[in-house]
Amino acid sequence: MSLDTAPPPARQQRRATPPAPKGPSAAARWARRAPLLPALIFTIIVTQLPFVATLIISVLRWNSLDPDNRGFAGFDNYAAVFTDANLRSSIVTTVILTVVVVVVCLVLGLGLALLLDQKFRGRGLVRTMLIAPFLVVPVAAALLWKHALYNPEYGLFNGAITWLWSLFGADRPPQPEWISDMPLVAVEAALVWQWTPFMMLILLAGLQSRPMDVVEAARIDGATPWQIFRYLTFPHLRQYLELGGLLGSIYIVQNFDAVFTITSGGLGTANLPYTIYQTFYQAHDYGQASAAGVVVVIGSLIIANFALRVVSSLLKDEVK
Amino acid sequence: MAGIGGAETTAKKTRWGILNAVVVIYALFPVLWIVSLSFKSKDTLADGNFIPRSWTFDNYSEIFKTTEFVRALANSIGIALIATAVAVVFGTMAAYAIARLDFPGKSLLVGVSLLIAMFPQVSLVSPLFEIERSLGLFDTWPGLILPYITFALPLAIYTLSAFFREIPWELEKAAKMDGATPGQAFRRVIAPLAAPGVFTTAILVFIFCWNDFLFAISLTSTERSRTVPVALSFFTGSSQFEDPTGSIAAAAVVITIPIILFVLFFQRRIVAGLTSGAVKG
Repeated sequence: MSLDTAPPPARQQRRATPPAPKGPSAAARWARRAPLLPALIFTIIVTQLPFVATLIISVLRWNSLDPDNRGFAGFDNYAAVFTDANLRSSIVTTVILTVVVVVVCLVLGLGLALLLDQKFRGRGLVRTMLIAPFLVVPVAAALLWKHALYNPEYGLFNGAITWLWSLFGADRPPQPEWISDMPLVAVEAALVWQWTPFMMLILLAGLQSRPMDVVEAARIDGATPWQIFRYLTFPHLRQYLELGGLLGSIYIVQNFDAVFTITSGGLGTANLPYTIYQTFYQAHDYGQASAAGVVVVIGSLIIANFALRVVSSLLKDEVK
Repeated sequence: MAGIGGAETTAKKTRWGILNAVVVIYALFPVLWIVSLSFKSKDTLADGNFIPRSWTFDNYSEIFKTTEFVRALANSIGIALIATAVAVVFGTMAAYAIARLDFPGKSLLVGVSLLIAMFPQVSLVSPLFEIERSLGLFDTWPGLILPYITFALPLAIYTLSAFFREIPWELEKAAKMDGATPGQAFRRVIAPLAAPGVFTTAILVFIFCWNDFLFAISLTSTERSRTVPVALSFFTGSSQFEDPTGSIAAAAVVITIPIILFVLFFQRRIVAGLTSGAVKG
C-alpha cells in the first residue's frame, strides 16, 4: 500500500507488533492522528446524524399535511413502500433503468476503450472529445437531450430524419414524439450518452495496464486478435469491468437529474429517488419518504456487495 | 503500448477516419447542436439548420439580464469554491494521515469514507431538510456548502491518498536528517510534490459541487441560494407558451464552459485523477 520503508513509529497494533523501541509518547501518537479528525468528525456529523434521523422518522407516522396524527408506526411505512403500487413500480423502474444503462455503457465503453487503445493519429484529441459528455453538467445534459435532440419540431433527431428522407426524395418523413413514445428509452439513452465515457476511462486504464509482453508472445505464437482478446485481455479487464459496473450501478440507482428533467417522472419513468423526492415534497409524507430512503440505502449496499461477488465468480468460472 | 499498426495503408487510414468520425459525432454532435441553438434567433430556432442562419447573442444577453440566472451563477461559484476549499484542506490532512501514518482502524476508516461517498444522497435529503429548517440553514449558502463538503470529502480523501502513496516519502526523512524541522520538511519537500494531486482533487471536487442538482433543488427555495442547475431547470417549467429553448441553450453553454475549460487545460491530470482509484486500487 504505502511506500513506508521503516515501520512507522506510531504503530500500535494489538497483535504482536514488537513495541516500537523509542516510540513517541501517547500524546504524540494522538497528534499524528489529529489530521484525520476534522474530516472524520465532519463527515460523520453531516451524513450519519441525518441518516439516524431518517431511520427514526421511517418508523414514525408523520405527514405534515396531517400534523395531529403523528406517532409510532412500526414497520407500516416499510410495508407501504413495498405494497404501494407507485413505489413498487418505481422500484422496478429503478432496476430496469440501472441494468440497461450500466450494461449498455459497459459494452460501448469497452468498444471505445479498445478503439482508443490502438495507435492512430489524433488519439489524444478523440479521447478528449469522448470525455466531453461526462463533463457536461448533468442537468444541462438532460435538458440538451430533452430540448435539442428529442424535441419533435426542432430536435436534432427529427431534423436528421427529415434530412435523410429528403436525400432520397421522400417528402413525408416520420416525426416521432420521442419522449412520449418511448419515455424510459429516452431517459436511458441520455444517461448512456453521459456515462459511457466514465466506463471508457476505467476500461482504458485497465487496457493500458495489460502486460504487453504476454500479448506479444501470444501473437508470435500465432494467436488471432480474437483469441488474444478472449483469453488475455478480457480476463485482465475483469476487475475493471467489475469496478465500472459497480460504481456505475451505484450512481445510476441514485439518478435524479435525468428523470426529473426529461420526463418529470411521468409516463412510468419515476425511479425510486424521484418518487422519494415526490413523496417528501409533494405528498409531505415524511415517514414514508424516509422508509423509501432507507430502502435505497440498503439497495445500494446490496448492489455494492452482490454485484461484486456475482460478477467476479461468474467471470472466474468462465476463465477456467 | 499497443504494437499494432506498423505501416499505415490507405485503406486502414480510411477505416480509422470513418470510425473516428462516428465516435466524434456520437460524443460531440449533441454538444455542438446546443451551442448552435444558443446562437439562433427566435424565428430560426426551429429551422433545423445545423449552422445558424442568422447569428445572434440575444439569448446570452437575455439570460444575463435576468437576476434569476446571474444570482444563481454567483451562488454556484461561491458555494462550489467555498466547499471545495474546505473539503480539500480537510481531505489533504486526512489523506496524509492515511497514506503516511499507521494506526489501528485505518482500513476501516478508508472503507467508511468510501461507503459515505456512495451513500444515496436522496435518503439524506428529507432529514437534512428538517434539520436545516430548524437550524435556520435552509435556503442559505451554508445549507448547501455543508452537505457538499460531506460528499466531496470522501472523494477528496480517496483521490488524494492515491496520489500521496506515490510520493517518495524517504525525501522527508532525508530532509529531516539534513536538519529540517518537520514543518520545513513538509513545506519545502512534500508540499511541492503533493501540489499536483491536491490541485487535481480540487478540480474534481469543484466539478462535483458545480454539478449537483438534488441537494440544490431540495435545500433551497428562493434565488438567495439557488444554484445554476436548479435555475436552469426552472427555465423550462416557467414559460409554457413562450419557448425558452434559446435561453436554456445559452445557459447550458455558460455553465458548461468552466468545466470544459478546466478539462482542456488539465486534461492529463483529470484523467489520471478519475482513474487513480482504478489503477492503484
